[in-house]
Amino acid sequence: MKIRKLHLSAAVISVAVLASATSASAQSTLDIVKERGHLRCQVGTPSAGFYNLNAKGEWYGLDVATCQAVAAAIFGDKNKLEIQSVSSQARFTALANGESDLLSRTATWTMSRDTELGLDFLPPNFYDGQGFTVRKDSGLTSALQLKGAKICVTTGTTNELNMTDYSRVNNLNISNVTFEDWNVRDDTYLKGGCDAVTGDKSSMAGNIASFPNPGEHMILPETISKEPLAAAVRHGDNKWTDLVRWSIFAMVNAEELGITSANVDEMKANSKNVSVRRLLGVEGNLHNGLGLTKDWAYNIIKQVGNYGENYEAYMGDGELGIGIPRKGTTNELWTNGGLMYSPPMR
Amino acid sequence: MAIVKAEKTPARAAPLSERSLIGWLHKNIFSSSFNTILSIVTLYVIYITVNEVWHWGFADAVWFADSRRQCFEISTDGACWAGVIGWMDSIFYGRYPRDELWRINLGGLLVVLWMVPLWLPRVKAKVFIGLSTVFLYPFLAGYLFSGGGKGVFMQVMVTLAIVCLMGNTLHSVISLIKGISLPEFLIRAFGKSTAPEKTQHYLLLGILFCSFVAVYYWQSSWQVEAVSWTKWGGLFLTLVVSGIGIASALPGGIILALGRRSNLPFIRVVSIGFIELFRSVPLITVLFMATTMFPLFMPEGFVLNKLVQVIIAVCLFNACYMAETVRAGLQAIPKGQFEGAHSIGLGYWQTMGAVIMPQALKHMIPNIVGSFIGLFKDTTLVSIIGLFDILGVLRAVGKDVTWLGLHIEPLVFGALLFFLICFAMSKYSRHLEVKFSTGLKNMTPNKRNKS
Repeated sequence: MKIRKLHLSAAVISVAVLASATSASAQSTLDIVKERGHLRCQVGTPSAGFYNLNAKGEWYGLDVATCQAVAAAIFGDKNKLEIQSVSSQARFTALANGESDLLSRTATWTMSRDTELGLDFLPPNFYDGQGFTVRKDSGLTSALQLKGAKICVTTGTTNELNMTDYSRVNNLNISNVTFEDWNVRDDTYLKGGCDAVTGDKSSMAGNIASFPNPGEHMILPETISKEPLAAAVRHGDNKWTDLVRWSIFAMVNAEELGITSANVDEMKANSKNVSVRRLLGVEGNLHNGLGLTKDWAYNIIKQVGNYGENYEAYMGDGELGIGIPRKGTTNELWTNGGLMYSPPMR
Repeated sequence: MAIVKAEKTPARAAPLSERSLIGWLHKNIFSSSFNTILSIVTLYVIYITVNEVWHWGFADAVWFADSRRQCFEISTDGACWAGVIGWMDSIFYGRYPRDELWRINLGGLLVVLWMVPLWLPRVKAKVFIGLSTVFLYPFLAGYLFSGGGKGVFMQVMVTLAIVCLMGNTLHSVISLIKGISLPEFLIRAFGKSTAPEKTQHYLLLGILFCSFVAVYYWQSSWQVEAVSWTKWGGLFLTLVVSGIGIASALPGGIILALGRRSNLPFIRVVSIGFIELFRSVPLITVLFMATTMFPLFMPEGFVLNKLVQVIIAVCLFNACYMAETVRAGLQAIPKGQFEGAHSIGLGYWQTMGAVIMPQALKHMIPNIVGSFIGLFKDTTLVSIIGLFDILGVLRAVGKDVTWLGLHIEPLVFGALLFFLICFAMSKYSRHLEVKFSTGLKNMTPNKRNKS
């Protein structure tokens, strides 16, 4: 009896798996999203610059802008969007089981994630890296001068390992002061408990902005690790990957072409530049391959803005920005020596 | 040669050391040199702490500002309460649309209205009122909070809930004024108090039916805007999760405890397995299982609302803890009670319902309320899996660029809120204990008879 029951349940499970496999291939993500009427975009628990809540309960940030861009491309309305906040432990599962359509939450693009987790990473929207914060009056100008320094770091992160490696390679003999919570880490640094703080440069810039006297601190120029932060989608639906990828590229391309949310209408009406006309759907049929309407990129730029605008607003010196200068960094356009580069849209 | 006094010597006042402040100080604070040193050190520590807290929390604190930067401009040593004040709506309601907050407030008001009769001494049929709170109120509140189109099932449940609420309220008002129940009042009002029982029943059923139909038509005429559960948050979400957890933990726990003591081997083994499984796993693991593993086992496209998954997990988990509390209470009941109940011909359910449980539950009140308080505090774990319960919102304050880095003040405020709620719960449990006269009072049978 027992054995027969087992067989039966095994049969039920395999049928269910088969059914789910067929149903997955039957309907594309774009169809599902269109049918639902809104995009489900996954971010994490609030993180300054990338995805924050304001007092009214609205999301804003650089990664939220990516979500909005995809929603604007599909629906012509950036607000047809449900932002899901998922803990970092559950982020990839929530994408894999179809709970989210898109993951846009400061995930570092690594090879093992790309190849083993069933994810497709998209072009990075922020190149982060680990750095050091010091007091300006310490007279330090380079991380290589941190010989024998006491450095505050949060434990259990790659930050700690990266710093140990860096110290060993450069014979710096750094001593770690480790903390569980970055708030306590920063408080200790402010009270003089250590000479420097190490962490991802973007988050440190945000933290410095929250110090009582931000002008007295600075981030040293050295970057000791690579953290390309990128959005990701489920492996397997290439059409959907294309759509998200080119929505992101459209924002970079718009910046290259000088199209902003303010001048997009004028550009659409008057521009003689063929690239601009193609991007905004005046000429050519770029939208066909994506299965969207002609004005998909126009909607992104009009409602969300180009990459540079969003950088200024959330990462730069905008009212809601956390004040990370863009000039001379990897997040600059390729024409200015950075890494932001969109393949030609033609 | 004895001196005999005719009148009684007047009582002298107690010695100065017993009644004056200095005497009290001498006896309690400075009784020996070692104690004096201890007292002075303690007083100094208290002074430092209170002084710091006072300066940080009140004297140097900033109450009105538009951003943390402005707070710093006014004072760098004090708390920046302005951020907490600015986020107050989010702390209480999460991301719920600001125009729809009245629905949450109304929901809260309704549950109070529903439960007030339970605390009024002259109202009867409390069991019915209590059951209707547990089984009908959630539908009404659930619709109020989530909104959208009502299916037929929801229409019926909402109607039933409204009828029940009106009945409850009328019943308690009439009980308070006239001292009779609502059915009696209706029968008298229609002048049928002498009619046969059957007629009275038909009359009551007719009234019930008419009010049902009327309310059904009325409620189908309005509809509230749909609000996705992803927008629920703050204290509201904490109260929803813990409220459902509390309401279901006790019934679930009683069933599991009875199952564990059952003579039927199958039921016993299943209950034991269930209880031990959930008790040996941390709540956070159960939550992760429910939210991340469970969907993987389901066919693709089957997306169960994450909030529902969390609530189910919380309910199951707490039912298991409650089961052990209930079992402890059951074991304290002497065997004679069971035998006595059996000897007057009561069956299993009657024995349990009428004899054993009422006694056992009284003994368990402190433990039950203790579990409830624990449950209420445990629900903050849902913020780890990405729901914006009160802790999630309090942590989000310091990440908002306007209030960047403001992490202590929101948590202090949250601690105060939790203290208020939990302290109120434990005070209420003391009140219940006294009311049911368990605890020490139980020792004196005379008093029990009087009450």
